[in-house]
Amino acid sequence: MDINGKLYKTFLDRKQQYELQHGEIAEKKQHSKGKLTARERIELLFDPDTFEEIDAYSITSKTGSEFGKVVDAFGDGVIIGHGKISGRLAFTYSQDFTVMGGSLGSVHAKKISKIQDMALKMGAPMIGIIDSGGARIQEGVASLAGYAGIFHRNVKSSGVIPQLSVIMGPAAGGAVYSPSLTDFVFMTNKTSYMFVTGPNVVKEVLNEDVTSEDLGGAQVHMKKSGIAQFVYEDEENTFFGVKKLLSYIPSNNLENPPIVDCCDKNDKEEPKLRDIVPDDANKPYDVKEVINLIVDKGTFFEIAENFAQNIVVGFARLRGKTLGIIANQPKVLAGCLDIDSSVKGARFIRFCDSFNIPLLTLEDVPGFLPGMDQEHNGIIRHGAKLLYAYSDATVPKITVILRKSYGGAYCVMNSKNLGGDFNFAWPTAEIAVMGPEGAVSILYKNELANSKDPDKLKKELAVKYREEIANPYVADEKGYIDEVIDPAITRKKLIIAFEALENKHLNVPSRKHGNIPL
Amino acid sequence: MKLSSKKSKKEDHEYIAVNSNNNKFKIRNPFSEEVKVNSKKVDIKIFENENGFTYLVFKKKKYLAEIVEKNQNRYTVLLNGVSYSFSIETPISYKRKKYLDKQKSNSKTEILSAPMPGKIIDVLVEENSLVKEGEPILILEAMKMQNEIGSPVSGKIKKVLIKKNDAVLKDDLLIEIEK
Amino acid sequence: MKIKSLLIANRGEIAIRIVKSAKKLGIKTYGIKTAKEPNALYLSHVDHIIDFTESAEEIPEFLDVERIIEATKSNQIDAIHPGYGFLAESPYFAKRCEEEKINFIGPSASVIYKMGNKTIAKQIANKHNVPLLKGSLGSVKDAKEAIEIANSIGYPVILKAAAGGGGRGMRIVEKESHMEKMFKMATSEAEKAFNDPTVFIEKYVRNPRHIEFQIISDKHGNFIHLGERECSVQRKHQKLLEESPSVALNDSLRKEMGEAALSIAKAVDYYSAGTVEFLLDADKNFFFMEMNTRIQVEHPVTEMVTGLDLIELQIRIAQNEPLPLQQSDVKLKGWAIECRINAEDVQAGFSPNLGMIDKIMYPKSKNIRIDSGVKESSVITPYYDSMIAKLIVFGDNREKAIQNSINALNKFWIKGIKTTIPFCKAVLTHKKFKKGDFNTSFIEKEMVNLHFEGEEDEMLAAYLATFDFAAELETERTTYVDFEQGKKMSPWVLNKRLKSL
Repeated sequence: MDINGKLYKTFLDRKQQYELQHGEIAEKKQHSKGKLTARERIELLFDPDTFEEIDAYSITSKTGSEFGKVVDAFGDGVIIGHGKISGRLAFTYSQDFTVMGGSLGSVHAKKISKIQDMALKMGAPMIGIIDSGGARIQEGVASLAGYAGIFHRNVKSSGVIPQLSVIMGPAAGGAVYSPSLTDFVFMTNKTSYMFVTGPNVVKEVLNEDVTSEDLGGAQVHMKKSGIAQFVYEDEENTFFGVKKLLSYIPSNNLENPPIVDCCDKNDKEEPKLRDIVPDDANKPYDVKEVINLIVDKGTFFEIAENFAQNIVVGFARLRGKTLGIIANQPKVLAGCLDIDSSVKGARFIRFCDSFNIPLLTLEDVPGFLPGMDQEHNGIIRHGAKLLYAYSDATVPKITVILRKSYGGAYCVMNSKNLGGDFNFAWPTAEIAVMGPEGAVSILYKNELANSKDPDKLKKELAVKYREEIANPYVADEKGYIDEVIDPAITRKKLIIAFEALENKHLNVPSRKHGNIPL
Repeated sequence: MKLSSKKSKKEDHEYIAVNSNNNKFKIRNPFSEEVKVNSKKVDIKIFENENGFTYLVFKKKKYLAEIVEKNQNRYTVLLNGVSYSFSIETPISYKRKKYLDKQKSNSKTEILSAPMPGKIIDVLVEENSLVKEGEPILILEAMKMQNEIGSPVSGKIKKVLIKKNDAVLKDDLLIEIEK
Repeated sequence: MKIKSLLIANRGEIAIRIVKSAKKLGIKTYGIKTAKEPNALYLSHVDHIIDFTESAEEIPEFLDVERIIEATKSNQIDAIHPGYGFLAESPYFAKRCEEEKINFIGPSASVIYKMGNKTIAKQIANKHNVPLLKGSLGSVKDAKEAIEIANSIGYPVILKAAAGGGGRGMRIVEKESHMEKMFKMATSEAEKAFNDPTVFIEKYVRNPRHIEFQIISDKHGNFIHLGERECSVQRKHQKLLEESPSVALNDSLRKEMGEAALSIAKAVDYYSAGTVEFLLDADKNFFFMEMNTRIQVEHPVTEMVTGLDLIELQIRIAQNEPLPLQQSDVKLKGWAIECRINAEDVQAGFSPNLGMIDKIMYPKSKNIRIDSGVKESSVITPYYDSMIAKLIVFGDNREKAIQNSINALNKFWIKGIKTTIPFCKAVLTHKKFKKGDFNTSFIEKEMVNLHFEGEEDEMLAAYLATFDFAAELETERTTYVDFEQGKKMSPWVLNKRLKSL
């Protein structure tokens, strides 16, 4: 080819125009809102010089252009492509708010679908970076159809490749359903929103005045709705979070999670573990302290830490290998299971099971949260989700009972007969149908009614009950607990146990899929 | 197509520690021998002694130091027993922070309501006291367990609507906090 | 009468302090273990532990008179030392001990009663010509009477609860028109707090010093005083830093005040250790405040300048021994300062800082004494007061004692909780404190910064935070995540995995 010829010039012109489009003007627009450009975001996410863009020069569809302004820009408001993150292949799309507000037109949608298809074919993680006003109105049904196509691919990929959504601007209307179908949602504080109907519509229909921030800001989705598992203060840190999460999970459902070799080799005793659980069964403590003392130093990565805090879930490494951890949190709501925590736990278990991540359960649960509010909102159905998820999971599953394990909650939290592979208990464990006070009020109803000093009698009976029934030894003798262990050696025990389970496989009955109580 | 990277590959790493009064400490290359704070070269060494204490040595003096809180880029450090809070920014995130600080919504009141029915065991704050996000402000007994309820935001206690030994229902208003 | 065994009805540093003296005298010690802090340090110092953890009672362990008496009897223990706080000044408890023939280490129940009631105490002082603030000398029945008295002694005046303490039930009245309202408030507050609405009235001294005299006497009529303690560094009536002697006293004033203190002790046939508290105004007039019939938190400063062991003397006196020294033997040598190290967050208005002590390291020197109730992994609970240790430092003179104290505080390292160390440093480096020019309003009026902060401290903190942040990013970046390893698995697993798809 003649390097001075016409053909080469067209090639160069296009390139130049493209650079111009992503140049200073776009940067200024985004930076002035405290945001980065679509391209800067990609640079933060991928290893330097590894990103390859596809379809950079696609042209916006002219359908319906008489209704709204159609900008002549390359790419139709989205960058798609692939690259390496920490040396591993990953696919991404990054919406460009500077082109028609990042709105989703038919070409835009086709590009996203294309990259989704590639990720699925290659069995590699898919990361969507979302900064979009929603469906492009002038393109009408074509853009809606585009969304549907994206959703369909989200569902098809679910459980096959990890899908992450990073919300860095608005995500309104139909756009919110793609993130909610993916495995994890990241948001950047103060500059990202998610809602099905925006503040204007709320004002029109309900006459309520509400800001975008209060309706669907990062704080709302982090603390109240639980939609966003991760919220970071700025975009740079958000991508650090994305990369960190990816370091725990495999590329697809056939692989095992990656291994970190330079990890904590130590399996020495940890006497501090003996002191964390207070002797007084009614005193709270922080289960995260227990987690951090068991897993490789500094590897616990909590998920949705500000939502349904009565259950703690997250990834960690044990001798360099990824684990999914589910732990009741006695510090919050006494560690009771309620609707939100059941759903949070269940969804995490489903993810781990899909991607061959073994599960460790740390149990200290006094039961399900009682009350009208919970019952009327369907704690029965939602609690069943957690039960179903545990029971259905075929990855290695180990439980350590730290303290309370009462009633239905005992059954749910990966008990032996629900399919727990190893069930350990600390000497502080109390396993029974219900707590001492409740149990003696039922068992000794008449005696208490006739006693002169019922409070004193009740206390005495409760002490006796705790000694004789609510301990781990009864369960140990009957085989519901495999071993009562010294808290100090928990780490060592778990390393050995998970190693023994490494090749675990369970045949499942052939069926299309089970019917989880949704 | 290759994205041509525009970032210059500078060797220098610059961070900006911003305290709650928006005073900044520009810290260049914290790892290197050539540490600069606000463009001045400083010689600070970090040590950990055999008892598990971390301390800094600066101008031949020892300073007991401990990171007591760390949440993403927000830090609280205890130095000689006094706490200091910072957010650590990179030049990019600092620009964003400045922009967002300008946009700050007018101060609002956050209402803390009871997360569950129970009894107030203790109220740990008084009206007009300042609280930090997460700082325990009252103890609520429920399920025979004492739960520390932390402040949902940093701010000033505007109104305490309950007192010790009150029984509360779920969603009862407990405390108003001015952000 | 020799005491062979001793129950310590207290906890924390004072329990350990008592054990030390008891051991010296060959006495077996018993401590009380509570469910609130079953792993407390003092329990590892006592010879025997009495278990109060299975508590079915609502009364706090160290206030449960009958349970303590019961435990003493069933373990055949000779004596009880109540320490300070809790039951130390309960006439009822002392009386129960007398009834059960348990040797209560302290004065008699009737003396505790008399001195505990401020009106009675004042009447005794008045009878023995000890200077008192002008006032009602007894309870005031209504606002009208209060106004009459106030007019005769002049405003400002203060209304105080007869049964009170700790600032509750107190009201300062600046002029007559305020009296009615203030009187109502004081009585209702006294009623609520102490179940006794009685109030008395006295002249209010602005910005006085708080000076107290340590006295000690035996059951044979020997009385001596051990000099004064300066306790003017107070916040909301809580002492935070004490010293002995005081810059405000010279030998003649010391003699005069010491004799006044002793005359009160003599008037009630006092025995054991006790403290007589005075207010000292700017013109060096002193006024009797009250007498504390127990060992005080700040007793070590007196021990340091006198070389005596006050707890040992208390025990010997309880054993009927005569005092081993006379007033002329008492010489105050050098200067001692005590800093109370409390688990409190000075930057958050001295609010209790609960949590676990991760690490603790003490300064060491022959000039330093540390009375501590905690160790590594001790838990600071909300159930007891927040004092965790006392740092007592000696110097040949005040200047040296201050400098030694600052050096010691710099080496007093604690990790895990916040303490009042930065506050103590702020006091000790304050110009006016160094000059000895301070009084009870010092903290409120003179101290701009309640915690000590070096010029470059914040920069150093910022550096540490930044270093950690950057280091973490660096670790994330350099941690080698081996994705290839995830693809290697046994054929067994892969085969089964494929089949079950």
